Amino acid sequence: MKNSEPVLLKRVGKMTDPASVEEYVKLGGFEGIKKAISMDKEEILAEIDTAHVRGRGGAAYPMGRKWIHLYEMDHDTKYIVCNADEGEPGTFKDKVLLDRDPLSVIEGMLIAGYLFRSKQGYIYIRGEYRTIHKVFKKALEQAKAAGYLGKNIMGIEGFNYDINIVSGSGAYVCGENSALLNSIEGKVGRPRVKPPHLAEVGLYGKPTLVNNVESYACVPVILTEGGQTFLNYGTPDGGGTKLISISGHAKNRGVYEVKLGTKLKDILYSEEFGGGTSTGKEIKFVHFGGQSGPIGYLEDCDLEYSYEGLWNNGLAVGSGAIVVMDESVSIVEYLKSVMEFFAHESCGKCTPCRIGTTRAAELLKDFTTGRAKKGDLERLEKMLQHITFLSACGLGQSAAVAFQSALKHGREEFESLIK
Amino acid sequence: MSQELTLEQKLEIIERDGSSKEDVLRILIDLQHADPKGYIDEETAKLVGDKVGLTLTKVYEIMTFYAFLKTKPQAKYVLKICNSSPCHFSGVSGVTDTLKELLGVDIGETTKDNLFAYHFIPCCGACDIGPVIKIKDTVYGDLNKEKIKQLIDDLKQGLRDQ
Repeated sequence: MKNSEPVLLKRVGKMTDPASVEEYVKLGGFEGIKKAISMDKEEILAEIDTAHVRGRGGAAYPMGRKWIHLYEMDHDTKYIVCNADEGEPGTFKDKVLLDRDPLSVIEGMLIAGYLFRSKQGYIYIRGEYRTIHKVFKKALEQAKAAGYLGKNIMGIEGFNYDINIVSGSGAYVCGENSALLNSIEGKVGRPRVKPPHLAEVGLYGKPTLVNNVESYACVPVILTEGGQTFLNYGTPDGGGTKLISISGHAKNRGVYEVKLGTKLKDILYSEEFGGGTSTGKEIKFVHFGGQSGPIGYLEDCDLEYSYEGLWNNGLAVGSGAIVVMDESVSIVEYLKSVMEFFAHESCGKCTPCRIGTTRAAELLKDFTTGRAKKGDLERLEKMLQHITFLSACGLGQSAAVAFQSALKHGREEFESLIK
Repeated sequence: MSQELTLEQKLEIIERDGSSKEDVLRILIDLQHADPKGYIDEETAKLVGDKVGLTLTKVYEIMTFYAFLKTKPQAKYVLKICNSSPCHFSGVSGVTDTLKELLGVDIGETTKDNLFAYHFIPCCGACDIGPVIKIKDTVYGDLNKEKIKQLIDDLKQGLRDQ
């Protein structure tokens, strides 16, 4: 990271065995939980709230608010769940934490377990990352052997908490939190109708906290360094550093850590990050935050990469995916590819999403094969509006985001394909 | 082709790492990967259901919902090509063209010797090394024609048994 030390990736690459508690502790590990057990519970919540972490899975919901909501639920049984179903195409940053610093995620979940007096945590790791399951399992075993999981954790009478790994099996929709809980319960992973909020009715009907991998990894940092320091790494509307995954035609594809508020231009062009394109062609557009995120054109390049910086311009951080496409790519072809993804991944529960995404993909194909007629673009826009407003979960609700954002600049390209 | 799994081998897989409903996906994937035909037959599905406490209908519902799980026999090596947009525009058509040339079958088809099949999958989180081919849990990235040819040769000779 420019002119400063990494915060979330500080141990990555520095440990010979990422699952080793000994190495983790040497590099500042388990300081967060030590701090937590010396604090009042309200103080812990206040630090998390001050840090203003927005959910790193992509929804950007303030983590503090989510934690306070669960804290206020008066219930003996609460579950802690980590969403490691990282399925947004173009996103591969959680993989780095899970594989190369798993104990940081475990520590975040442990602090949550302590705060909410939970007995059981779950981490739902996507089936595509089965090789990482092994690393994570080893880290859990080592944490248990060192007294950071299991019974009477850190010598505290009655602090009993454990974490189970649950495997996904190739379903994007399970990244939706309620679908993920159904999947943990051994059911098919279709989303539930909300409300009730998962903090009220979650796993096995009990109050449940569901956060993303990177969000949990922020927690020990917040407690060790303080909420205010963490906030200051970012901007007022979203604290901290953010892991980004750069892919597509970028020259330096990979995972990087940036301070929220970094210039987008630097992220795309500086050698330290994306480094321009690998193709020698100009960047045409950038897809932010996964397939469910918005598309920006090059003129947006002067913006700062932060929650408000992007939101104010119709864009979003989302999962931190940054898919760079050069000028050889037709926006229509690109959006067809995006819509085919949604048609494939729609769980089928809501008719507008199930049928709508398929019809929208067909219409987009018409544009790419010279069969688009006058009125088709308007029809596509209307259809996508229906999908957005009539679907129960985030999958259908955001299936049109890429299209709608791209149309602001790309309308002419669509119109030029109508006979 | 290797032998079908015995009942004892199946039970060993089912009970290896916990056999509650929460384990059902991991168990089914493990069984499928160990099966020489790469799928879960009805008898195995029923066995899993009995052990984890799900009816055969529920297990079947799970197997048809989750993309990993197969209810029909598969080729020995199923080459899964990521086709989500970051990979799609990073040379996927070159991968499918090369496979068609090398294997003599179209995407979605199986070679006559039942050794190879290839098809698209959505993002498998390896966008930094696209285009990629995934075989079971192994991802082969930064592919070009030579690498794909080498991979196919190695697989034919059994040098990269998963």
